[in-house]
Order: sequence, then C-alpha cells, then structure tokens
Amino acid sequence: MTTTVSAVTTGVAAYQVPTLAAQMYGHAVETPDHVVMREKDFGVWQESTAAEIWELVLDAAHGLLALGVEVGDRVSIQSENRPEWMILDFATIAVRGVTVGFYPTNPTAEVEYLLTDCGSVVHLAEDQEQVDRVLDIDRGTVSDVRKILYCEPRGVRNYDDDRLLDWDDFLALGREHRATHCGAVEESMTEAKWDDGMTLVYTSGTTGPPKGAMLTHRNVAYSMTMFRNPAMRDDYRIGGDDEILCYLPLCHVAERIFSTFHVAELGLTVNFAESIDTVPANLREVQPTLFFAVPRIWERIHAGVMIRANDASPFKRLWLRFGMRLAAAVGREKVANGGLHTMKSRLLTAIGRPLVFRAMLERIGMRRCVWAASGAAPIAPEILEFFTGIGVPVYELYGMTENTAIATINVPGRMRLGTVGEPFGGIDLPDSHFRIDADTGEIQVKHPGVFAGYWNKPEQTAETFTEDGWLRTGDVGEWVDGTHVRIVDRIKNIIITSGGKNISPSEIENSLKASPYVKEAMVIGDRRKFLSALVGIELDTVGNWALRQNIPYTTYRDLGEKPEVLELIQGIVNETNEKFASVETIKKFRMIPKELDHEDGELTATQKLKRSAMEDAFGDLIEEMYA
Amino acid sequence: MRGRPNLYTSYEAETQLFPTTTKKVLLGVGLLVLVLMPFDLWVVDQIPVVRFLGDSIWLRLVNKMLIFIIGALGLHLLSGLAGQLSLGHSFFGGVGACTAVLVGGKASTNLWGWGMPMWVWLPAAGVVAALIGVAIAPTAVRVRGLYLGIVTLGLVFIGLHLSRVFPEIAGPGDLGRKWPRLELRFWKEEDPFLDFSRDGHWFWFDVSKHQKTYFFLLLLVILMAWWAVNLGRTRTGRALAAIRDRDIAAEIMGVPEFRYKTTAFALSSFYAGISGALFASFVGQVPPEQWSLRASVTFLAALLIGGMGRVSGVFMGSFFVVMSHRFVEEIVDWAKHQAEGEGLFSSVFDFFISRGSGDGGLISVAQTALGYPLPASALDEIIYGALIVIFLLFEPLGMYGIWIKVRNYWKGWPFSY
Repeated sequence: MTTTVSAVTTGVAAYQVPTLAAQMYGHAVETPDHVVMREKDFGVWQESTAAEIWELVLDAAHGLLALGVEVGDRVSIQSENRPEWMILDFATIAVRGVTVGFYPTNPTAEVEYLLTDCGSVVHLAEDQEQVDRVLDIDRGTVSDVRKILYCEPRGVRNYDDDRLLDWDDFLALGREHRATHCGAVEESMTEAKWDDGMTLVYTSGTTGPPKGAMLTHRNVAYSMTMFRNPAMRDDYRIGGDDEILCYLPLCHVAERIFSTFHVAELGLTVNFAESIDTVPANLREVQPTLFFAVPRIWERIHAGVMIRANDASPFKRLWLRFGMRLAAAVGREKVANGGLHTMKSRLLTAIGRPLVFRAMLERIGMRRCVWAASGAAPIAPEILEFFTGIGVPVYELYGMTENTAIATINVPGRMRLGTVGEPFGGIDLPDSHFRIDADTGEIQVKHPGVFAGYWNKPEQTAETFTEDGWLRTGDVGEWVDGTHVRIVDRIKNIIITSGGKNISPSEIENSLKASPYVKEAMVIGDRRKFLSALVGIELDTVGNWALRQNIPYTTYRDLGEKPEVLELIQGIVNETNEKFASVETIKKFRMIPKELDHEDGELTATQKLKRSAMEDAFGDLIEEMYA
Repeated sequence: MRGRPNLYTSYEAETQLFPTTTKKVLLGVGLLVLVLMPFDLWVVDQIPVVRFLGDSIWLRLVNKMLIFIIGALGLHLLSGLAGQLSLGHSFFGGVGACTAVLVGGKASTNLWGWGMPMWVWLPAAGVVAALIGVAIAPTAVRVRGLYLGIVTLGLVFIGLHLSRVFPEIAGPGDLGRKWPRLELRFWKEEDPFLDFSRDGHWFWFDVSKHQKTYFFLLLLVILMAWWAVNLGRTRTGRALAAIRDRDIAAEIMGVPEFRYKTTAFALSSFYAGISGALFASFVGQVPPEQWSLRASVTFLAALLIGGMGRVSGVFMGSFFVVMSHRFVEEIVDWAKHQAEGEGLFSSVFDFFISRGSGDGGLISVAQTALGYPLPASALDEIIYGALIVIFLLFEPLGMYGIWIKVRNYWKGWPFSY
C-alpha cells in the first residue's frame, strides 16, 4: 500500500496543471509496466511500457532543452504516425513548447509556408523524403529552424547539412543534458499554466492558406473531460485496458485527440498502424476496443465487405445474403430505438451473431469494438445502419479544430441517423454552450474548449468570433426535434441557383458518395440554371465491377469514360435525384478524368475538395455542361 | 496475445506450434486417444477407424506404419524441406539395418556381430547412415533435379551389390539373418529389463508384444516428428526452405548451399537409418532386396500423396501408403461377401467380383488369379498408381492440400478471402 500512496503523490498529482506530459509521467509512476504503445516492426508488434516511454520522453525533452528550446517555442513534426511523433509531442509539452504537426503529404511549398508561418525552431522530418522537402527550401527563409531531426537515417546519412540530427543522437544529447541538468524538465513541467499554448493545429485550408489554431492545456483538458464521460458509451468506462489503432494523420485534431490525448489521459494502448494501406490488416490484428474513423474509412470497410461478399463461393454468398438481411433488420430496429437493442433486434442478433456477424466483425477488426465514432465529414446513413446492424456501436459526432472537437455527439439510446447528435450538454454536462444563430443558421459554440486564436493572425481570429465572444463554426445547422443537430453545409458552400434557390451541395454529394462506386463528387450550380456534377469513380470497386462485366480497361480515365461505367454512374445519379426536390436534381454530370490528389492541389491534406481549385482545373468540363 | 490471436508481440509467439488453448486441448486429446488405442476400452470403440486399429491384427500394421513414418520424416527433411529429389532413401535404410545387425547381432562362424544392446545399435544405425549421407552429399550437391535422382538411384544398386559382397553382415544368399530384437538391456547380459518383442505384464496389465512395441515406437515417432517440425522453424529450417525455393537465390542471400545441403542429407539419412534398423528388427529377418528401388519409391509416394513439405502430410501419406493394401483387401473381401449374399445389391457387387474362371467381373478373389480379372493385390497397385497421378495433376499439395482447402474455407468464413 505504501508504494501506491507515494506513487500517487509523486505522480501526476505533483503537478498543478496536469498537462499531457504530466499525465504520461503519472502513468510511468503508477503503472510502469503497462504497455502504452505498440509499433509493428519487422512483422512483430514491439511493445513499449509507460515507464520506457517516459524515459524516452525525458531524454527527448532534455534534448530539446539542450537545443535551446524555450517556453512557447514551436517544434514541428512532419512524419507518419510513429512513437517518435508522440514522444516528441510529449517532450515539447514537458518543456512548455508548442507542437506543430504537418501532414506527411504536405509538398515542399506548403512545408515552406508552414515552417515560416509557425517559426519552428526544431523540425522532425521522418525520412529522406521529408528531409529533402526541408532542405529544398532556401535556408534564409526558414532561418528559425535550428535542427532538423530525422528518424530514418537511410539515405540521409551522407547529407552534408549541419542542421541535420539523427533521432538517436538527439536522445543521446538529451541524456547528456539530463546528467548535467537533472530535474530541469520536471521544473519546467511544474511551471505550466492552464492558458499556455500546447499545440498549433493547422486547418486544412479549403479556401485559403492553412491557419494555425492554438490550443491550450485548458482546451485539451476540457475536451478530454467530455470524451471520458461514460454516458456517451452506454456507461462503459474507458481505461488502461482499451486498445486504439492510430492511423489517421496525427497532425489532425481528430487523431490527436483520439490517440495522443487518450493515451496520456487514460494510459490505454496505442497501436501504430504500419500505413494507411495496411489499416484493414492491422485492424484485424489489433481488434481495437475504441475506433475513430472518417467516413472515407467506414465506406472503405463497408465496400470491402460488399466486394468480398460478392466474390464469395456460391454457398457463402447465399449465407451472406441471409446475414446481410438480418443485419439490415437489426440495423433498422436499433436505429429506430436510438442505437440500443430492442427485444426483436436482440433476438435477431442472437441468430446472426454466431452465424455471420461474429466472423465478419473478426475479419474487419471490430470484434472487440465497444465504441466507434465517425466524424470530420458527413457519413451516409446506410453505412451507419449497416455497422449498427452487425454490432459495431458507431456514432456520428461533430466538432472542429477550433473547439477542440467538442460540439455535438450521438449517444446510445438517443442516436439519430442523419444528425450529428446533441450538443455535449445534452448528456448532462454542465458547461456546454451551443447555439444556432437564428438569422444565418450558423452553429456557434462557447466553452472552455474554444481555442485561443489563430497563430499570428489576429484579424482572422477576430472574424471567427461573434461580438459576444461565441466561436463561429462556419457550418450551417438546423435543429431536429429541438434536441439533435443536422449539419446542412459550410456557409461558403451553399449554392444559390440563378432561380434564387438555396441548395446545400454537400447533401447531394454525400448521397452520391454513398455508392461504393463513387469516390468524389462535386455539385456545381452557383448562379447557374441547373445543377450539374463532377464525379470521380473509386478505382478499386469500379475496376472490380468492370472485371466482372468483362469490360477491359487500361487507366483510370479510360475506365471512367467507358459507356458501361457512364451508365452505372447515371444510375447512381438517378437514384440520388429521386431523393431530392426537382430543383435539386443533377441534370448533367461529367467524369473527373484523373484521380484527385493533394500534391496536385485539388484536395486538402484531409482529402477535402478544394472547390476553387477544382473549378480551375476542370473548368472546361463544367462549361461544356452548361454550353 | 490473449483474445487477439493475430497480434504477435514476439517471434516466439508467432512461430508457436500450438498457439491457442483449443489447439493444445486437441493435441492432448489426440495423444490420449493414441495412447488408449491399443486397449479394448469402451470409449475408444466409439471412435471410427481408431476403433479397429487397436485390434491386434491391425496393430502390427500400425507398428509398421510408425516405422515407415520415421523413414518418411527423413525424406521429408531432404525432399519436402530442402527440395532435393532422392531415389536412394531405401539405401540409407539398408545402411541403418546393416549397422544395427553388425553392432547388435549375434556372431557365428560366417556372420559378424558384436551383440551390443539396443541403446547402442539404434543410435549407431542412425549415425552411420548420417555419416554415409555426409560422404555422399558432395556428389549430390553438384547436381540437381532429375540428375540428383539418378545419382541417388545409383546408391540403391551399389547398396544391393555391397550386400552380396559382404554376406557376413547382410546375411547369406538373399535370405537375410536374425536381427537383434527390440529390447532394452544394460549391456550384453541375457535378460532384458524391457522387452518389446515378447508378451508380458506391465504394472497391472497384460500387454502383448505388439502393444509394447506400439508404445515404444509411438514415443519414438512423437519425439522424431516433434524434432522435424521444430527444425522447420529454426535457422537451419529456413535455410533449407530457401534452398528448396531457389538455391541460387538462397546462396546470393548468404545461405551456404553446400553446408545446408550436406546437413539435409545427414539428417535425412539419420532418420532413414533409424527407420531401417527398427524395421529389420521388428520383422526379425529381412533380405537385402527389402532396400530396393521399390521402397524408395514408396517413401516418395507417401510424401506426394500426403503433401510435400509438411510433417502432417507425412503422417497422412504414410497412413495411406502402409494401410491402403489392407483396406483394399478388406473392401474386396466385404464385396465378395455381399456378392455371395442375398442382399439388395448383391448383383451389383457380383458384377465387379469374379469368383472363378468364366465368372465375368473386374476383380478376382481367387487366390491364384493372374492377369485379367485382376487379383486384389494388383487392384491395390493400380489404385496406388492412379492416386499418385491424380494428386500430382489435381492436388500437388497432397492430402495436406485438401485439408488446407477445407481449413481455409472455414478460416475465411463468411468470405472467401
């Protein structure tokens, strides 16, 4: 008993402000042997315990001190998800610096913009590719960058640049500093303030250059108190035994909250996926208990199930058809009951689970999932219904960087498809503040999770707040039954046709994208006579479909322009049109002749369409439709 | 990792032979059934096939099969694991048998023998065979594929010739000689403390000599099979598999081809030597003809039918190769009874069975029959040959491949991949 008591007093309780770093220290003291991180290396998941990780964090933090990082200095990271990302993040927080995450896909020009904008002093570039991006920038423009750390020495070893520093050498430097300046990091941790900036999260920048949103310790702590609430998981308390797969970019606020914040707050185990392409395989191995995904991933898992169901042997196909029908029935029943079981759905699940669902869940890696969420973009209700049906409790939520992802959430028992749920206050939390502006329909929030402001952009920060201090989210929403919120669209996206009708393109686009064959859709019609759309096919599924129909094709463009594929897409468009009023129907569409890409500027790093860029790139296609 | 069977946190966990509790339990139950099989117990009698395998007539055949398995395991190491075709496997069996009789046999005026106990002659049989395997390996390493087959084929004939040159070892005039019995003695004294070749009394049970031999061989097979399986997961095993898949590529990757091919020959010959010595000792007296090309081919057939490269394939193939004769005989016998009887299908069986001259039918049950209609023994040969052709054409992975297909069907459930 005595050991536990002393552990508690020297753990996180020793710090006035329980920053994420302080919490990691707490885990290292209280449960030193608990595995907090797993990374697949040479085919085997290498485990690191809380104590081991904390040692590395301390070394890294001392390394930062040795490099002269001071309070408020920015440390930037451009890397795929890996333990070093989190370790450097915690180390930066420990020395009261500010972590800035870059997307691994950010091209050189964007890296240059981000580095100069945030004025980073230490930059972590994962491998040769990322190092090259920094070295390509003229040294004078990024003169603030003192050291460029790299994790993968392959190809970088022979580079001749005095700013380069290997990760291991950096840790060694830290250990040296630690020997001479024992306690310096701990001292810095005690001095942390609630309103210190902790991280800069750059918005994806669909309209202009990305802006760095500054989140403070207070924001993070508030966000986590909200996410820890067991009421949103049907009284399931998340804790150390939970497993998470970390695969979305860590620089995005969603994965940052879901992985970094959760591991620090709860000491659960984070499993780093090898890459975004191996997510299905890694999911099957890890079988996470908590899972967050963007709709794109949910759609991919769903499409994977559908394709494999079609490819199964005849008997299995029959069996699966039966299973799918059961799942649909269970899904409908549960959705109608707010996400909870009814007598009927329980009965159907009892039949379906041993026959189909359990094996299917195992194959898609959701066997042990107790809570899953979808966010960051709207998801098709059919997909949610499917997952609910087979037994994945997936809930849609809504939030953004600027409010540390705290706005609305669906909760068990009161889930409603097509909405993003209720304001967080709706689940008995006292200090949630949420409103929908009566005039513009804009969603506005005000709570301790609202960010401190955009980095070095006071004007834009001021624009983001209303006169009475509410955060303008830029999203148009509407109440459903007075409790739930439905997101209509971004204010900027609303189309006004030449007939004067207000139309939300996202709804139509999402309905199109609900088909497994459609990857991208962009509805056009602002100040035009009728609506039209640019449609991009999903190469995998349409390719598979073409193969089955015996349609030979060569490239993406070739496949997209096959008359049979055009017919297929026309069918999907017609289906969508049936759901909407006649002014909202798509009269014409054209296929996007290439796969959209971040590097080419048509998508943001989060795979959102940049409408203006799309209109520039495919202007001729658009004009053709209105000619 | 518990509850997450695909989450491997170490190589040890990933290469575990029996990773799940279910598999461990199944292994335990399987072993228990094998141990109880020779006894006349009610429980055992409920299990199909195992039900009659324990009977004393069948048990002798089972013992032969166990000995055969040891030899087949040896060929598995050489051909299945390292991919080296060998038609000379029986030669090493012969070397083992001759070593056994030389070390353990009784001397007489025209026969050599040192009369050592089994714990000397059995390992000696393996070691001498292994040494000869090492001596032959350099020749074999220089050739591959069919040419290696021919080289090893030559061994068989050299062996047969040598057996005639040294009748003092192999026995005079193609008759063989008395082999040392399966019994454990401390040294050369007369009374063995464990005798597997006589009926006797263990604890409170009466045990026949076949039951005794069965337990001895079962233990040996389990040990040697376990060792063979484990070898597949070691550095040596991976090196051998690399050589099998592409020897040149393996050498470029830094696998010393010569050393590992020699190792494969040595290990394979060791198993063959043990198997040969046990066989000769079990039968009592074998002519040198026993170690002819036919025996080599039988070993290969077991591997092909069972499935190349898998120890479980070796078991299935050996079971088939050794037992099929007996099963065919039983079935023909049963068919004959049916044909003679008044049952519903007697005419159908009568159509296939020929019971004497003039009686049309495919299979003759008359003892002296030669040519058409076929005697049961010839039918058996035809089935045997046809199966090898069928497996090579349609299921190159053998019976193991069939098992894999069945297993994957359920593993992929509810999808196909």
